[in-house]
Amino acid sequence: MTGPGGPDPDDPDLRAAEYVLGTLDAREREAVERAAAGDPAARARIRAWEQRFGPLAEVVPAETPPPRVRAALLRALPRSGRADAGQIALLRAQLRRWRIAAGGAGLLAAGLALFVVVGPSLTPSGGRYLAVVQGGGTVPALIVRVDLGTGLAQVRPVNAEAPADRSLELWYVGAQGPRPLGLVGAGQSEVRLPTGTAPDGVLAVSVEPPGGSPTGQPTGPVVYTGKLLAD
Amino acid sequence: MADDATLRRLLAGIGRGEADQLAELYDLTSPKLYGLILRIQRDRALAEDVLQDVYMRIWQAAGTYRPDAGPPMPWLIAIARNRAIDSVRRKVEVQGPELESGEDWVARLIDPHDEAVAFQNRDALAACLSRLDPRHRDCVVLAYCEGRSREELARRFDCPVNTIKTWLHRALATLKTCLEAVS
Repeated sequence: MTGPGGPDPDDPDLRAAEYVLGTLDAREREAVERAAAGDPAARARIRAWEQRFGPLAEVVPAETPPPRVRAALLRALPRSGRADAGQIALLRAQLRRWRIAAGGAGLLAAGLALFVVVGPSLTPSGGRYLAVVQGGGTVPALIVRVDLGTGLAQVRPVNAEAPADRSLELWYVGAQGPRPLGLVGAGQSEVRLPTGTAPDGVLAVSVEPPGGSPTGQPTGPVVYTGKLLAD
Repeated sequence: MADDATLRRLLAGIGRGEADQLAELYDLTSPKLYGLILRIQRDRALAEDVLQDVYMRIWQAAGTYRPDAGPPMPWLIAIARNRAIDSVRRKVEVQGPELESGEDWVARLIDPHDEAVAFQNRDALAACLSRLDPRHRDCVVLAYCEGRSREELARRFDCPVNTIKTWLHRALATLKTCLEAVS
């Protein structure tokens, strides 16, 4: 492995080491995570490197975070009461900050894996909910009308942009993880909701190969997200 | 820092959806995790977002924590570091002034009167790091503790990114061999 040219850079153990070290770029990190999701040996390689470097994490000094983080966290937990405007404002503020951090280059251009899942809690409203699914812009990408009574959702694209040669796929993200709802087309469509759809889930749109994710799980960056709001 | 048994009990409660257990875990562990996040994501507003996101992940993933996968603190640290690194890798690389933290992380590793013993192999890591070429070691330590990208390291050491990649690969391969021999 340590021949004249040095270690083989494609060695999966070196990839795991660089993943833990943090020197892979966003795309490479995503590839490692995708591979590890279905491969216990890959997860074991990552865990072994986490243990090797662990003592260094130990020496980084602690710092008490400002109390507002704790307050926001507890507010965002599903058990803690009704959804409120503050929580939605918080999600919007986070989206805005991520976008600023991306240098204004836009979510797609930056290849952002934006995946803000803040568990909301909403008062029931006859089982009908509305989600405004958007990235960082002011114009929503999709408007999704959800009826838990019938188990159907109406998806209306407004300004969803797929990169060239890629499809956009809509997901419902609940307690069981992402469930595919279908591809985002040009026109309005009706999709069947997975069993167990609850108002505290999140809708997300990811960039996928043409025709949708080959794995049944999001494989590309999540470019739009939206929460269910009581209709 | 909290002991493993307490953290395991809290994670089990969080896995059952008990919000008060998450609050207790937060009180015990957030200074450590925030310290780690802040070294990597130096924008405090973004670091606070990362911290909140980390505990939401813990809330969602606590049910999948298995005690046989190792002690809880390294599990929590891995979540925090990964989210912090994701948050800095996501952004477009902006050429800015190099921030010098001036911390000597390896010296801290060797310093015997520092806290806790969640990790057993501290001396081994210190010994093996000290055997690396000093520039290679600096790359590894700055990447791990401060989340430096290959591009940032290339600017700091005034060499091509490919050279940094080679240094990192050599250092990691050497480190692994050394740690296996020592432990």
